[in-house]
Amino acid sequence: MICSTNNPAIKRYNYRAAVVMTLYVVFLLLAVWVFKLHPPTGVAAYALAVLPSLPIVGMLVVAGLYLAEEKDEFIRNTQVQAMLGGIGGTLAVTSVWGFLENFVHVPHMDLYLVFPLFWVFVGVSMFVVKLRYR
Amino acid sequence: MKNRLRVLRAERNWSQADLAERLEVSRQSVNAIETGKYDPSLPLAFKLARLFETAIEDIFTDEN
Repeated sequence: MICSTNNPAIKRYNYRAAVVMTLYVVFLLLAVWVFKLHPPTGVAAYALAVLPSLPIVGMLVVAGLYLAEEKDEFIRNTQVQAMLGGIGGTLAVTSVWGFLENFVHVPHMDLYLVFPLFWVFVGVSMFVVKLRYR
Repeated sequence: MKNRLRVLRAERNWSQADLAERLEVSRQSVNAIETGKYDPSLPLAFKLARLFETAIEDIFTDEN
């Protein structure tokens, strides 16, 4: 959804998305670095393992805030359609892949890939939605 | 749903961008409504009616 615009809701979305994605990179590098050099134990290990996922959750909140703040109902409608496409595509691929893993032992898909997969499908869906309203 | 937006716009010599600015929506929104690909909400339909100083039924007509 990130793009240059005069729409205040998209401007706020772009800013918030940049903040949480920066936090994601920082937290991820920190977690990788600490686990490599000084592996923590107990609660600290759990806390550090969870740390990079917090901005991911934050990104979902940022997307939700955008939908709540977008005043242009048509644009909001297209974004919701794209996100529904993203959810549907992600559920379809992960469900099919899960059964493939169980029965024919295809390579394991790490769960952290689900989030970028969702945004890939959102992008594809947005392309299709824009074609529909062109 | 069919509508007379293009005609009403032409009568006032407004572009889609002009109408979008007056409605405080994007030009894509005006285009989607005008081409009948998107039906506006009731509040937006009322806003259109007020802007063109007419009734909603004079802008939008049920195809059935």
